[in-house]
Amino acid sequence: MNSLFLVRAVAFNSFSESVRNRFFTLFAVFAFTAVYASVLAGVMAVDQESRVLADFGLALIELTALAYALFGASSALLKEAETKTIYLVFSRPVPRWAYLAGKLGGALLTAGLMLLIMAAMHLSLLAFRGFGPPPFYAWALAGTFLKLAVIVSFAFFVSLFSTSAVSTLVISSIMWTLGHFASEARFLAERLPGLKGTAVSVFLWLIPNLQLFNARDAAGAAAAPGPAVLLPAAAWVAASFLGSLWLLSRKEF
Amino acid sequence: MYNYLRDTTLAAALLAWAAGGFLARGYASPFPPPSEMRVPAAGAAGDMLALASGSRRLFADLWFIRLLQYYGSREFHGEEEAGNGEHRHGEHENYGAGDYPLFFPMARHVLEVDPAFTAAGLYGAACLAFNMQRGEEARALISFALGYNPKEWKYLTMLAAIGYSRSGNAAAVAETIAPILKDPDCPVMLKQLAAFLNKKAGNYAAAAAIYADIAATSRDEAYVKNAVKELKKLAGTRLPPRGGSRR
Amino acid sequence: MTAPAVAFSGVEKTYKRPRLLGAEYNTAVKGLSFEVRPGEVTGLLGLNGAGKTTIMKLITGLLFPTAGRVSVFGHSPADVAAKARVGFLPELPYFPPQVKPAAALAYYGRLSGLSGAELSLAVGSSMHRTGLEPHAGKRISEFSKGMLQRLGLAQALLHKPDLLVLDEPVSGLDPLAIHDIRALLAGLNAEGRAIFLSSHSISEVEKLASRVLIMVRGALAATVTRAQWEASPGGLEKLFVEAVK
Repeated sequence: MNSLFLVRAVAFNSFSESVRNRFFTLFAVFAFTAVYASVLAGVMAVDQESRVLADFGLALIELTALAYALFGASSALLKEAETKTIYLVFSRPVPRWAYLAGKLGGALLTAGLMLLIMAAMHLSLLAFRGFGPPPFYAWALAGTFLKLAVIVSFAFFVSLFSTSAVSTLVISSIMWTLGHFASEARFLAERLPGLKGTAVSVFLWLIPNLQLFNARDAAGAAAAPGPAVLLPAAAWVAASFLGSLWLLSRKEF
Repeated sequence: MYNYLRDTTLAAALLAWAAGGFLARGYASPFPPPSEMRVPAAGAAGDMLALASGSRRLFADLWFIRLLQYYGSREFHGEEEAGNGEHRHGEHENYGAGDYPLFFPMARHVLEVDPAFTAAGLYGAACLAFNMQRGEEARALISFALGYNPKEWKYLTMLAAIGYSRSGNAAAVAETIAPILKDPDCPVMLKQLAAFLNKKAGNYAAAAAIYADIAATSRDEAYVKNAVKELKKLAGTRLPPRGGSRR
Repeated sequence: MTAPAVAFSGVEKTYKRPRLLGAEYNTAVKGLSFEVRPGEVTGLLGLNGAGKTTIMKLITGLLFPTAGRVSVFGHSPADVAAKARVGFLPELPYFPPQVKPAAALAYYGRLSGLSGAELSLAVGSSMHRTGLEPHAGKRISEFSKGMLQRLGLAQALLHKPDLLVLDEPVSGLDPLAIHDIRALLAGLNAEGRAIFLSSHSISEVEKLASRVLIMVRGALAATVTRAQWEASPGGLEKLFVEAVK
């Protein structure tokens, strides 16, 4: 049997279930309200309204998509085990790697759709206020998606050994925060003397530097991300996937 | 065999994670390090959030709005006020003149969070140099921003304009800042300053063109009203040819 | 020689529950050896905690034995070759409430390797056999417990398995549903499929099975054939009570 066919079946089922779930709509409504509420800040910025609306919208889009994706990723495998749905899957000729790849693919597809829907809302707001999308818009969304891919796959990994969805959510959120602090932390580590500095540098090596993908912040700066950032993103996603597979292959249900 | 596969999977996972770190090692942050950030006590939490969520631009926007609100508030000493307690937006000569002791740290903080926020840099420097006559602080602000955007021609241009301003050469200031006026990042107050300087120098056509631009593009009602008023005034003036003002 | 549908040889399963200091171990089954022949209906009886569900999960590859060997049609239960021949109905199966039964079945059909016309045919056939056709237009959220159980059976039948592993297939169903499911299982057995079912209902097992395994605290206490319980004055119930006391 073609394993890719199985991956696709699991991914589309996972995607379809997530999109049908009321949380998807709730998050979309929240995003709509939050994005449109940023008009107030835009008005306060007077002639910088377009910049403020773009920045507020992109940040809200990212944080809402992050909350939604982490919420889904931290409970995806746990829920299937609790409801015994996983019995119906693993009692069939479905390799565990194919199931995992499908679930991760489904989670990323859903996060991608969520991003697109929120981007459409945001662009409609910009158009309503008489602005077009800023030139870095597509890059900003792509960067957000890469961040989500890294953190969602990490959440899958954590969910396979953590005791609850909440602890997965917390651990993944900490990783998200550390990922954004990586550059600042590296700067501080360089100033620490001797062994302390080395220890912190080694620790930082383990933190995925999410600033690499932060195109919405780097857009105005000299170092907007290039296509090369896909490589570290792919490496971190692959690492989390393989780590999850290692745990899942040992797991009993 | 099964255990061997599992162990290989774990080894591959660790290798891939390390590869991610290796591939990302060359990344250099375009932003000021934490040691450069002179965070006001009330803003520390916000700055932490800005860094933690990768939202420097957003928080720079918020700091900029606070700066606008601060500078837009009434000063009680030595400031010429309009009847309603707001700044006068009519003539530029006394516009925004006041102490505003927090203006420089607040403007600098916007750039500490996002040094690529050119409009904020230009606005801050222009207010300091041309409204408050604090050229040194304006230079310091632009120099800080230039440290992170050394090729930003608008900052370099502004630096030159500040120099002319200190030597009292208003016409040179107007001519120097002229290219910035066409840029979308140009703050409207700088446009108004340019219009005012041109008008003062008798270059009415250039002043009218700038006022017309303000009236057409700005979202600040006060500036728009003033521009319309000035345009009406200029319509009653016999306009000399463009560029004739510098003689 | 045909391989047995299921073969347990000296199987032990011990669960490990990590604790703050060390771990807690609980042996669910130990020294378990038995066979299920192809085409046979075998019942599994035991009190709560006797190890029935553990045995089902060992057969379907959801658990791995701590010691001993489990084989399904001569293969390890984790092998694709074994899983392709097994249909599993867990106790109280869950299906996404917002979809219709055909959509849920199509998903599980795909996971069993079916596609295209073959998949449509399998979904239609499973719904027909389990009596779900009249409810095809309803969402699963509108299903009664009996209909959910039928749907559970339908997903187990999709790929025409040679062995059906059914955990409490008639638990909580009304008499009519029990009657229908019993008839369905008898029909499946008549087609040559082996059925391995666990139940708390001795009378149900008695009606369907040709052989019954009685589990007591993780060990096989007795194996009783239909001839034996039919010859016994108290029937299977008496033999069961004697075994578990």
